[in-house]
Amino acid sequence: MRITKNTWVLLLILLAGAGWVAGDSAYFRPKPIAFKVPKGWPRPVYDFSKNPLTEEGFALGKKLFYDGRLSKDGSFSCGTCHQQFGAFNTYDHSLSHGFNNAFTTRNAPGLFNLAWQKDFMWDGGINHLDLQPLAPITAENEMAETLENVITKLKADKEYRKLFKAAFGDETINTQRIGKALSQFMLQLVSSNSKYDKVKRGEASFILPEQLGYQIFLQKCASCHTEPLFTDYSYRNIGLKMDDVLKDPGRMRITNRSEDSLKFKVPSLRNVAMTFPYGHDGRFFSLMSVFEHYRKNMVVSATTDPLFRNKLALSNYEIGQLTAFLYTLTDSSFLKDPRFAAPGANNNTKPPIDIHR
Amino acid sequence: MKYPVYTLVLLTLILTGLNFRQPGPITAPAGKLRLVFHHQVGKDPLALGTLCRNGLGDRITIERFKYYVSHFTFTDSKGRQWKPDPQYFLIDEEIPDSKIITIQVQDIDIRQIGFLLGVDSAKNVSGIQTGALDPLKGMFWTWNSGYIMAKMEGTAERSPSPGHRFTYHIGGFRFGMNTAREIRLTIPQTSQPVREVHIAADIDRWFNGSWQIDLAETPVCHSPGVLAMRFADNYQNMFSIQSVH
Ligand code: HEC
Ligand code: HEC
Repeated sequence: MRITKNTWVLLLILLAGAGWVAGDSAYFRPKPIAFKVPKGWPRPVYDFSKNPLTEEGFALGKKLFYDGRLSKDGSFSCGTCHQQFGAFNTYDHSLSHGFNNAFTTRNAPGLFNLAWQKDFMWDGGINHLDLQPLAPITAENEMAETLENVITKLKADKEYRKLFKAAFGDETINTQRIGKALSQFMLQLVSSNSKYDKVKRGEASFILPEQLGYQIFLQKCASCHTEPLFTDYSYRNIGLKMDDVLKDPGRMRITNRSEDSLKFKVPSLRNVAMTFPYGHDGRFFSLMSVFEHYRKNMVVSATTDPLFRNKLALSNYEIGQLTAFLYTLTDSSFLKDPRFAAPGANNNTKPPIDIHR
Repeated sequence: MKYPVYTLVLLTLILTGLNFRQPGPITAPAGKLRLVFHHQVGKDPLALGTLCRNGLGDRITIERFKYYVSHFTFTDSKGRQWKPDPQYFLIDEEIPDSKIITIQVQDIDIRQIGFLLGVDSAKNVSGIQTGALDPLKGMFWTWNSGYIMAKMEGTAERSPSPGHRFTYHIGGFRFGMNTAREIRLTIPQTSQPVREVHIAADIDRWFNGSWQIDLAETPVCHSPGVLAMRFADNYQNMFSIQSVH
């Protein structure tokens, strides 16, 4: 038997190659993205050390966010219910539509500044942003799909295998990675460039009604809709009568405590001009109807916030000024930011797509 | 040697190539302990889908029975305690392999085994986990974040819900609602050294323990709270050592 020197050399080349291939993952160097905390804002609560932001992770998250394959019949993506034009709420819908023409039981809130939010949903039932997508994906009235099926569909797609590898170092596709990638996209939805922000930074100034509205706001609203995020993330009952079809007990559903009955998370008022309809079930179609609620229609019960024992007095004059101020919270650069836009949507100045089919 | 240069270059390549691999974790060369879980209803082994009678006289058919175990601790005859790296196992009656678990232990002189039935609260608040804790295992509530620590489903003649079903999804990790339970089992001295422990879990205890659960009144438990806590108090006492080898 004659093993030539050439054979040895060949074998060695192969071995060398193998060493490099196996070591490949050591070269996994996705491009990091620095998360910028706007000046004067608190520290984010999301733990970025467990899911460092990268270009690759963001790109994957964005693709997932706009991919209908996350739903059973392929037609509902996260982006169907969370539309950029409406600061990622369901634009102009009290309740959103999901699979099989079912309605969601609550109004889809806008999605922004999620890195500062500890709990999610109107009742705070979800305790981590990464977990949030699991609820709509598996809910019968939303995307109605199983996690196994979503993973199977993604694994079958060569493009996704490539994107997961670029974002995480190998082609493994699992629930955790889907959650992390979607978070990468959602965490970067930071809205901090409204006129209000520019005024705070000294780059612009309020006109008189806005200025007066701001003063009234600080007096009457800011204890719950606290700056700079325009929510303190607490749960409060502001005297909305329980809808007799939805029968939604709010925070009590999570804590089982009767003192939490009818309490809902204080929503941020950033971009509020774009996030109508309002309230956890979208019952208010305009800011005016919210004001009418605060000053007239409120139903004061045992768990209603102590601030509202005598409802909330607002004159027509104050409502006018407040409205002027609330409009300064619209961040049009966020609403049109091409980084967040649905694929194929060349710009977002057009009215949004109608999700009725 | 005709190719000294080639060989040198290639060797360097091989070595650098190998060098770029991450070193794997060093596993301590210790003993292996097998734990085998046996599920029964009273004295009879559990057979899914088969009619049986629980200790309260109810005629029931169990279709599904699974629970998490984690956080093992071992105590030796000198009272020394040690904990292997945290590992989570989903014991599932439907998957026979899941009922046999192997744990690396430092010593085979074991007098006490402790473990957590359920998932610790830290893992309930830190996003999506993998492996046995992957939410796709169906042991996670998506609308009210948290693990289902233990799950039993089936039918019972006296259950008033549709199809006479009963579904017990026991979970909750917050203070005052924590359904994870510390289990402690003592191994008889005579059975040293310990290589394999057979643990029995008596489903009867779910109904008939610190609390009596009336199937006709409470056929469903789907959220953290008082009822879930009662089930947890009950299943805390369902384990016993069957045999040691
Ligand atoms: C069928 C419509 C629909 C789809 C599809 C949908 N959502 Fe939502 N989303 C909602 C509704 C409605 C809520 C409010 C639910 C509640 O509070 O109970 C919500 C809430 C959220 C929240 C919490 C916001 C907050 O401030 O608490 C996040 C984050 C979110 N969705 C992300 C996603 C992601 C990611 C996807 C895709 C995997 C998705 N959604 C798909 C309707 C939808
Ligand atoms: C006691 C706390 C509290 C105070 C004070 C308060 N709000 Fe609210 N606000 C809430 C809560 C909680 C909700 C959500 C209620 C629900 O949907 O059940 C809300 C909802 C809203 C909404 C609807 C937003 C949306 O996206 O659905 C608007 C607009 C609003 N508030 C404006 C104001 C203004 C303006 C003031 C001052 C005049 C004010 N609020 C004072 C707690 C408060």
